[in-house]
Order: sequence, then structure tokens, then C-alpha cells
Amino acid sequence: MPESAWGWLIVTYLFLAGAGSGAFIAAVACDLLAPDWSKALARAGSLAAGPLVAVGTSALVLDLEAGLWEPWRQVYLVFNPSSMITWGVVILSAFIPVSLLYAAALNEITFIGRYFRKYVWHLEVIGTVLAFSTAIYTGVLIAVINGVPFWNTPLMPLLFLASALSTGLAVAMIGAAIIDISTIRTLSNFALGHVIFLSVEGVVLLLFVFMSLTRSVEAAQSAMMLLSGALSPFFWALVVVVGILAPFVLSIVEYYEYGRMPKYLVVGADLCVLIGGISLRALIIYSGTAPQVLA
Amino acid sequence: MPRYGIAIDTTKCIGCHACKVACQNHNGLECDQKFNTIRQVDRGKYPSFAREFVPTQCNHCEDAPCQRVCPTGAIYTSPEGIVLVHRNRCVGCKYCIEACPYKVRLIDHHEGISIKCWFCIDLVLQGGEPACVTTCPTQVRIFGDLDDPNSRVSRFIAENRAQPLRPDLGTKPKIFYKRS
Repeated sequence: MPESAWGWLIVTYLFLAGAGSGAFIAAVACDLLAPDWSKALARAGSLAAGPLVAVGTSALVLDLEAGLWEPWRQVYLVFNPSSMITWGVVILSAFIPVSLLYAAALNEITFIGRYFRKYVWHLEVIGTVLAFSTAIYTGVLIAVINGVPFWNTPLMPLLFLASALSTGLAVAMIGAAIIDISTIRTLSNFALGHVIFLSVEGVVLLLFVFMSLTRSVEAAQSAMMLLSGALSPFFWALVVVVGILAPFVLSIVEYYEYGRMPKYLVVGADLCVLIGGISLRALIIYSGTAPQVLA
Repeated sequence: MPRYGIAIDTTKCIGCHACKVACQNHNGLECDQKFNTIRQVDRGKYPSFAREFVPTQCNHCEDAPCQRVCPTGAIYTSPEGIVLVHRNRCVGCKYCIEACPYKVRLIDHHEGISIKCWFCIDLVLQGGEPACVTTCPTQVRIFGDLDDPNSRVSRFIAENRAQPLRPDLGTKPKIFYKRS
């Protein structure tokens, strides 16, 4: 397996930032479009978004070396506008407080929440823009560098966005089941969201892998590592079967069996999406190979 | 102001790793920290078999990808065209290591910063040459000013049509190779 300078901390960060921003989008969509279906889903999504992204960002900071030991160096992080990390720091610094404020406002937590209750709509608009920026940025972060040809494709941000939307919805649905288990029947309404997001994710993943096979020698090497090489058991089992196919089928059944599916399968489908989401990030990071400079 | 570069004649390289050790000695590196790496290319089929040693180090690219992605602006190009890292500014995010197509950067876990070849600028400013250049027993490397058409390095590049590694990546490296 080729060595990447980035390890599991960055994988964790990419996953949590995606899941958190997706949960925010799920919460806003639920609150604006379907407020009478499930109050619990909007509440759960909004409560999960901020903390997930914050924990993910801590993983990112823990991966720093000198910047971790001498934290004042982190002020330099916003100094280079041609670096995607600079953009990421700006986006994350805005998204984390906005999402926490939204959670407080929507759930009327403390006096801050009660005060911001009348600005919920503003927070939803600003927060959604920032949530999409966060989800897309995590893909752009690794897509802009030509040191790893496999990542260097415009499909990468799309793939990460699709994955963020499906994992975010999964987080919100699990959260809704935890907050109020009686809402599990109405969760079937949202299974359609999973069907849409997982199909998009599947199609983009298919395009990404197949186009990588002919994009460059190095990208093909990475793609082959996923399809039939050292990482292929994880790719087929965790990403394709557990992460996409299983929850896709379960969500279709859930949608048509409205409210009659056992609650373990409803939550199980969401857990599958989460396992698929983190495996996808991990496999993309670990399958990256350097350009063959001696050719 | 000169624009420093190196020409490397791989047909002369015997793979002795003296450049690597001289570099580690001059820069106080540990045995697993390498600014110079000798890579190997094997070609052909027995009995027509060839092994080429290709010494690689930071190319000091004119459009350095590491400099573009560095969020703190710790990576900068000196007036002599040498790509350097600001020791007190680097946070150790490793984005530059991922971005470098030549994979010649490494992280120093003691200081927690990204380090790499700096063309021994301390020796060069005193009128000398980098340690890897002077130590090489077969004189594989030629160091000099790329902007001076009469310098040894410029003449070698012109006479041998030396090319940088992977010029198609568009980073405009300042190390040129005569390959076997």
C-alpha cells in the first residue's frame, strides 16, 4: 500500500465534516419542506451538525504538528488565498458557530436560542450555503493537488457532496430515532431521500472509478487497487455492498412498506450508509499514488 | 541575481548514496530523513539488462505546487529561485507533501515542520556549492546559474538536451536530467 502523508485523522475529518454538513442540510430541508412529517428529524439533524463538524475539525488540528504544539501559529492558516486549507479554515470557522446557533434556535436552548428563534430562517439560508461549501470543499481540498493524480478530478467534490448528503441524512434519521422512537414510522418518508442520494453517489462513484481507469497511468493504478487490488475487499464489501446497495434496497422497501419495517432495519440502513461513507473517504485517501516521475 | 539549478547526468551515477549521506551530514538529518533519494529504473530482459540510478531531490519548481497549496504562506521562493520553508510559520499540515508530484518533501517530527532540500543555500551564499554536488565521486551533478548561458550547467543542458522529470506536469523544475 502506498504511503500517504495523511492518515486516519484526515479520514475522520473528511467523514465528520461531510456528515455534519449533510445533517445540517437534512435538518433545514426537513424544517422548511416537511415540517409536519417529523419535528424530531430537524431537531436531531440540527443538534448533530455543529458538534460533528467541530469534532472533525479537532481531528484536523490534531493532525498538525508544529501548529498543534505552538497553537499561535494557526493564525497564519488564513494567509494564502490560493490554498484550499485557507478557504476551509474560513468556511469551517463560519459554519461551526452558525450551525450551533441554529441548533440552539430551532430547539430553543437557553436564552440565546429563544432570542435567535425569530432569526431561524436567516440562519437556515446562511447555514445551508456554508454547509454546501463545507461538503464541497472537503472534495476540492484533495481534488486540486496534482501530487496525487487519482484525486485530481472535478468528480471528487461531487462524490464527496453526494456522500455528505446521504451520510448527513443517515445521521439525522438515527438522531430522530434516538430523540423520539415513535417517529420511526414517519421516517419512512425520508427513505426516498436515501434512494435519491445513494443513486447519485453510486453513479458518481461509477463515473469516478471508470474514468480514472483511462485518465492517467497513476489514476488507473489507484482505481485498480480498489477494483481488484489490495484494497478491493474493503471497496466491494464496505463501500459498494454495505455503503450503497444494502441501504439502497432497504430504503426502497422502507418507502413502500410505509412504517411497517422493523425499527432495527430502519436504523440499520442508516448505519450502513455511515459505514460506507467513512470507508469511501478512507479508501480514496489510502489508494492515492504518486505520479511516476521516472517514466 | 542568479537563478540556481542543477544538471544531473544519470549515465555517470553508480548509486553509491554519497550525495544522500553528505546531505544528511551537512543538514544534521537522521538516517531515515532524506533530502536526496536515489531511485532505480530497471529495463530490458536478460542478458540485455540495464539498471539506471536516478538521484532525486527538491526540483525548486518555478510554479511550485507546494508553495501554491501552503495555507500559512510558509513556503516561499528566494530571489535566487530556491524554494524555502519558513521554520516559524509552518504548522505541519502536510498539504505540501501531498501536493508535491515528485514526493521529495518530508516532515520533521522533532520540529513538527515540513523540510526538504534547500540547495545548501548557506554554502552557496559563501561562494560554494551544495554538499551533494561537491561530494559526488563521479561528478554526476553540475550546479550553477541557469540564466547565464555560459555557465557549465547551462552548457551541459544545451549540449545534452537535458530535460526535467515530467515537464508535462507544468511545474517548471530547475533540475535537469541527462537520462541513459
